[in-house]
Amino acid sequence: MSIQYGRVVSLILLERFGPVVEKVGTYLFQYGTVPLLYIKKHTDLPISKVKEALCILIKYRLVTFTPNRNENVANYTLQHERVLLMLRYAKYINLIKKKFGTECELIMEELLQRSYWTASELILKVIERLKKDHNKNVTILALREKIFSLLAAQYLIRLPYSMEDKPVPSLVIKETEQFSPPTIDFKQIALVQSNKAPVDSLPDQGVYWTVNFDRFHQDMRDKLIVNAFIKKFDENAGEFVRLLLQQMYIRTQPWAEVSNPVPIVEIRDLVRKQATHQHLLAFFDQYVNVLEQDSSKLIRQSGEAGGGSFQIFLKETFTQFAWETVEQIVLEKFDTKAARIFRLVKSKQYIEPDQIQQLAMIPAKEAKRLSYQLLEENFLQVQDLKKSTSNGPNKSFTLFYTNLDQIVRMTLELCYKTLFNIMTRKNHERLVHKRIIDKKQRVDTIIMGMRAQGAADEQLSDIEEMITPPEREILQKIDVIMKKLNTVELEVDETIFLLQMYLIYQ
Amino acid sequence: MSQATSSNSEEISNEDRLLELAKAKPEGISNENIKQAIPNLPLEELALIINKCLKNGSLELFKTKDKLLYKYKDSSKKPAIRGADNEEKVVFKIIEEAGNKGIWIRDIRFKSNLNMTQLNKVLKSLETKKIIKAVKSVSASKKKVYMLYDLEADSSVTGGAWYQDQDFESEFVDVLSQQCCRYLRQKWEDANSMGGGPLLARNRSYATAQDVHKFISELGISKISLSVDDIESILYTVVLDNNAERIVATNGSFLYRAVNKFMQTPGIVTTTCGVCPIASRCADTGFINPKVCNYFTEWLE
Repeated sequence: MSIQYGRVVSLILLERFGPVVEKVGTYLFQYGTVPLLYIKKHTDLPISKVKEALCILIKYRLVTFTPNRNENVANYTLQHERVLLMLRYAKYINLIKKKFGTECELIMEELLQRSYWTASELILKVIERLKKDHNKNVTILALREKIFSLLAAQYLIRLPYSMEDKPVPSLVIKETEQFSPPTIDFKQIALVQSNKAPVDSLPDQGVYWTVNFDRFHQDMRDKLIVNAFIKKFDENAGEFVRLLLQQMYIRTQPWAEVSNPVPIVEIRDLVRKQATHQHLLAFFDQYVNVLEQDSSKLIRQSGEAGGGSFQIFLKETFTQFAWETVEQIVLEKFDTKAARIFRLVKSKQYIEPDQIQQLAMIPAKEAKRLSYQLLEENFLQVQDLKKSTSNGPNKSFTLFYTNLDQIVRMTLELCYKTLFNIMTRKNHERLVHKRIIDKKQRVDTIIMGMRAQGAADEQLSDIEEMITPPEREILQKIDVIMKKLNTVELEVDETIFLLQMYLIYQ
Repeated sequence: MSQATSSNSEEISNEDRLLELAKAKPEGISNENIKQAIPNLPLEELALIINKCLKNGSLELFKTKDKLLYKYKDSSKKPAIRGADNEEKVVFKIIEEAGNKGIWIRDIRFKSNLNMTQLNKVLKSLETKKIIKAVKSVSASKKKVYMLYDLEADSSVTGGAWYQDQDFESEFVDVLSQQCCRYLRQKWEDANSMGGGPLLARNRSYATAQDVHKFISELGISKISLSVDDIESILYTVVLDNNAERIVATNGSFLYRAVNKFMQTPGIVTTTCGVCPIASRCADTGFINPKVCNYFTEWLE
């Protein structure tokens, strides 16, 4: 929660919902939980506009409401983390595509675009899109299975609904209902499909499904851990950790700090059944040994029974990942020697400047410069110890230390700032070249229209030539710039995700 | 040895016997010891001999538990200080005690209670006689420490192998660090390519400081000879760079091994903002803003 963070949130809202929603969202971000009239008063928008904006925000689950003390009035709160998640949508869709295939990708895409929907309508829409975009015919039954498998894996979750009839309803849902599959009537869907029955005749009207972001984050977290182990050790060790995490879910709450012990025999059996990692199977005990004895101590043996059982320490894992990330940032920002000093201070906890130059083997002057530079950028902290009897000037000690929590928060701020900068730059580039982009769009629509009418190739190329070569060049350049900025945006989001994971476990 | 002139030859022999006795017992001799060894020596004569020895410095007087002890002192160091006055002797003694670590002029002044000008004179005269020398300390370039002329300065004063004339040779250290890292990595790669399971590969990839020392010596990149301890401290920098890990072996020495990092380069530093030196001054208004940012422009081209 900072000004920088607020700016990113406003920019995202502006980009996706337009200026009115952005104004309302920004106000809610700044003032927290407030009723409708306050928003109207401070944003100077007509009440209908404010209502509309709130409706949109509530629909996309970006704003939640609770009854005021006067139960006829609602208080609105902006869910700012959710706003930030909008940047991650592409990643969610990609993840589903890899795991469940194209049909599920489309289901997820539709759901993310509409925020929530009934299963039947979702099926109808996806069938239509598959036919149109991919020229593929899928049966209702097949899609139903897809939705059920997504539900079973908890990627979808049922939206809370209101039980009682009040001016400000409180939305609730029973835990058992969250993932229980809805009734889907094929015949009725088929009738609706051929326009023989109205949409509201479907049996699952009012049972809305939405995306369970938490489940995605678990997947992303696991992927992160597995990738880290692959990088540090090898494919096989990564596979071992993947299976360990998979088995962890059977016994442990997904966000527990430490997994419950997982019997090693189970994992061995899984490896044998999979038969994909022969090397891992052949040297299974050795891999277990190496992982357990590694100095990072992230996987530890907890019991001897039944060939031993192992725990993975998720909190420590992310603490270590955060350290490494911060170290890398120091490395990139200030170069090797500063990173060396940073790691030295980390390993010694408290250290005197003299010791730094000795142990890090850096000339006195440079060591001093670097450590104070790190201090200036808040990567290091200083503790002064003063002796009370003050005869003589040289009676106080200066000790360097680090505070990971604070560095992580600081880096997170920098990430938000970077996001803001990237988005601002994107908008700026678009604005500068607005004329050409608009022209291109106009030409494109004309060509599309003419092609639909069956125009000759010659005519088409005539119109295409309306964009001059220099303009084409500029368009290409903008394209490259946008691609670059978009990739970087996703990469920054990865860092944000990792740092947020660290903060979650704190 | 003692060149004291004496008319009495018997006295000389007594003196020699006394010194022999003291030499044999480095922890010191008492009056009783002397009486046993040289029974027919009259007390007055003994007192005379001891006083003479004490004066020329071949014996030292100690007092433990109300008992007087005489210790033999090698007078081979002595000749230099002969002919010096009392101040010089005192200062000499203080400097001698400081050993090869040397002593700072301020500390000499405090210990000797001499004033500055007098002390300067004494030090200068001792220096010209080549009894003591001044060595510049690396920890503070202006600070001079004094020590006996024939002593080799301690590595804490000269900075050890890494210093040349008070200058830290950082290129030298960098090169060594790189080579150490290369050696560990090579060993690690060899171990991995040999096969035989991850445990075996890991155990094979450990190297002791002695191994690395041998490798570095054979490379011949160092003109001066490095000790194993020097290599240990170089290896520690490799550990600090997160390119290796260090474990304690069963015999208490360290083992080193090249390791990989968990994390890839984080996304934030692939952007210009992540490494921007003026990021803290950047905002959406003002001179430094993302719309006109030069770093962005350069990177996007």
